[in-house]
Amino acid sequence: MTTFRTGFALPMEDLRDEFDRLWTSLTAAPPLHGWGLRPDGAFPAVNVRESGKAITIEAEVPGLDTADVDISVTGEELVLKGSRRGGCEAANGRSPDDGTEPKVTWHRRERGTGMFERRIPMPVAVDAARVEARLVNGVLTVTCPKAPEAQPHRVEVRSA
Amino acid sequence: MTTNAMPQAATAGPRATEPTTPLTYQPNVDIRDEGAVVVFDADMPGATPADIAVTFEDGVLSVRATVPARDLPGRAIRQEYGIGDYRRSFRLGEGFDASQITADYARGVLSVRVPRLAAVRPCKVEVRAV
Repeated sequence: MTTFRTGFALPMEDLRDEFDRLWTSLTAAPPLHGWGLRPDGAFPAVNVRESGKAITIEAEVPGLDTADVDISVTGEELVLKGSRRGGCEAANGRSPDDGTEPKVTWHRRERGTGMFERRIPMPVAVDAARVEARLVNGVLTVTCPKAPEAQPHRVEVRSA
Repeated sequence: MTTNAMPQAATAGPRATEPTTPLTYQPNVDIRDEGAVVVFDADMPGATPADIAVTFEDGVLSVRATVPARDLPGRAIRQEYGIGDYRRSFRLGEGFDASQITADYARGVLSVRVPRLAAVRPCKVEVRAV
């Protein structure tokens, strides 16, 4: 249904809302994928290594707890999901001693916040049931054992 | 520079001026001013508290971390970031209580709280009716 506006004040409300949105975008923390200026803006960045028995994915996710990360693996790809909080509670959960919210002025906000999802293709089939993940000091390490059929198989050479 | 002014980066460019290893990174930081204290949160994954040094000298707050190499098996098939040390400095000026600076490291984030001296903390003055 289309509604028609009357009076002169309503367009100004739209303008005010636009300014509010612009101001919020300027003062809020950047999204985890950056402001679109980084060509490699995917979060988190990952390093992937392959050995004979496993694929190992390492990602730097500072500020995240184990509960903030959701990892799912299929035979073909690994999916990292999660979110990072912003604001005063983000770093170490500290608040002023009197329990009140401090009056905060932000001088820099370089650390991204928000939700993320990253899909990493697996070069070979992996055994999803045996995937292990560790999160230590903001570094996430996911070890994906290769499926038996993808592991190197040594062929004995028989003498005739 | 006044104590209420915005902290300025003491080093310029994407890298620190005195790299100690081929890979030295400037960590991303959030800086928030709570009036009585200025809080620096820096993303420094992969470090440990023993590897991190926080100094405040001549009005410059410096954070440094030596990050040990992470030995993962196999050959690299995707390399999106490098692993190296962290270094970044900020010029805060005077009016801060260096003896009360605290630094906590948790989940790969260094949080440094730099309190202002009581004499320069902002305070609200009540206006009395006469």
